[in-house]
Amino acid sequence: MRELLAALERPVELLVAHGPEQTPLPGARDIDFGAETERIVRELSELSERLSVRVEQEPPGFERYPAVAVLPAGEDVGIRYYGLPWGYELGSLIGGVLEAGKLESTLQPESLERLAALDRDLAIDVFVTPT
Amino acid sequence: MLLAYKTALASPRIRAAAIEATEFPQLADEMEVWAVPRIVVDGVPQWDGSVPERVFLERILAAAFE
Repeated sequence: MRELLAALERPVELLVAHGPEQTPLPGARDIDFGAETERIVRELSELSERLSVRVEQEPPGFERYPAVAVLPAGEDVGIRYYGLPWGYELGSLIGGVLEAGKLESTLQPESLERLAALDRDLAIDVFVTPT
Repeated sequence: MLLAYKTALASPRIRAAAIEATEFPQLADEMEVWAVPRIVVDGVPQWDGSVPERVFLERILAAAFE
């Protein structure tokens, strides 16, 4: 993991957003999701000098909690992870961090061309599960 | 998930969120999440499952211009 994160070409900030959380389903894991999210993100950040963590209570620009925003060079480009990033889904967050740490997009040139032609805002939500 | 993040990084027009479905069951119900990954664009469910980059781009841009 440390080796992967050594590839970061620019600083990446992880903003942990705490706020009122939804009541978990009956019988759900007895976990403080917010505290656990913060713990995981802090541990991750210790693996690279280019990674930093900020923790805020209900910052603007978040729809639910807990949440993590990935900020390349401290800039909010709209990358969010809602929920506890554990299990398989920790990989999604780390993938986002690694991509945010790159100076150049790893998308194909044709994809970048198509995106450049986009003339309206678009919100992509991807529902995931940890297993 | 990574493709969504990559597009958000590459375009100032796009924002991308991963949502842990088991933790936000009401929202997951509203978006009729029965399989993951489920891709939703502007609040409208689009498809389930991972697809290659070219197909991902085609589908989200098609959704944008619906």
